[in-house]
Amino acid sequence: MKDEEKEERLVSLLAARRSEAFWAAQRARITAGALQKSGPARAWLLAPAAAAAALLIVLLAKPRLPVPAPETVVSTAFLEHLDLLDDMDVLEAVSEEEL
Amino acid sequence: MGVSILVETMTRTEKPAESPAGQEEDVLNRLVAEHQRQVYSLALRLTGNAAAADDITQETFISAWRHLKGFRGESSLKTWLLRIAANKVRSYWRWKKLRSWVGLGTRDEDGEGAALEDLLPDDPAGRPEQAALAADLERRVQKAINLLPTRQREVAVLRAQGLALAEIGAALGMAEGTVKAHWFEARRKLEVSLGEYL
Repeated sequence: MKDEEKEERLVSLLAARRSEAFWAAQRARITAGALQKSGPARAWLLAPAAAAAALLIVLLAKPRLPVPAPETVVSTAFLEHLDLLDDMDVLEAVSEEEL
Repeated sequence: MGVSILVETMTRTEKPAESPAGQEEDVLNRLVAEHQRQVYSLALRLTGNAAAADDITQETFISAWRHLKGFRGESSLKTWLLRIAANKVRSYWRWKKLRSWVGLGTRDEDGEGAALEDLLPDDPAGRPEQAALAADLERRVQKAINLLPTRQREVAVLRAQGLALAEIGAALGMAEGTVKAHWFEARRKLEVSLGEYL
């Protein structure tokens, strides 16, 4: 067999063999997909408005927590740091006024 | 070359559809019909996975259709489509590597191999022996291709779609001499693996 014929035969072996029905179904899927995706091509114009609306919804939906009084904040902070104190004598050394 | 030029070129010899949308659909249909076998063959041979090849073929045409304005006509439409498909195959392998890296690599083995009914040109129900032979050939060919190193595989598969060595070089970003060397080596190995069919 000639070299070119051999190459031709090899090349034909590498091709995918599928039924005509397979190609037709694939063609239909591709055409539908391409036309569907290319249809709303200008949808990106709505993207900034959609992003702003989403942000607004998130901000409005966020539950508003009651703002604690300043003295409550101080005592909470103090109590949260209590566990850092190894020596309880330190606590005893703090006068009531300072607490 | 944009859609309008392509529409004009492809409809020159035939009766155009009534509306521009219908005309575009007609052009797309013919574009797919003309090149789908080559794009699918390339994807199938480079992935060894029928489901992935189908997805890659679909994505290739959709991308090409959406970016048709960017096609400058420097290469043939076929070379351009095959280059897009080859890039999508490379992305597929990167994605697959990433999946296996995070421990999800075994999920998509289901698309490997082809359904018997897909392997014959017409109804295989009456010819089960031929279907079995075709399936066996398909497996042998795919196995032989899988044994090639990546670059040789890419070159061999593009060569099998009828691209010239220079076109393959342009599609894969390789010098023509390198393509020639890869093709020479790939061909030698494929002839050894598939000798009985040649």
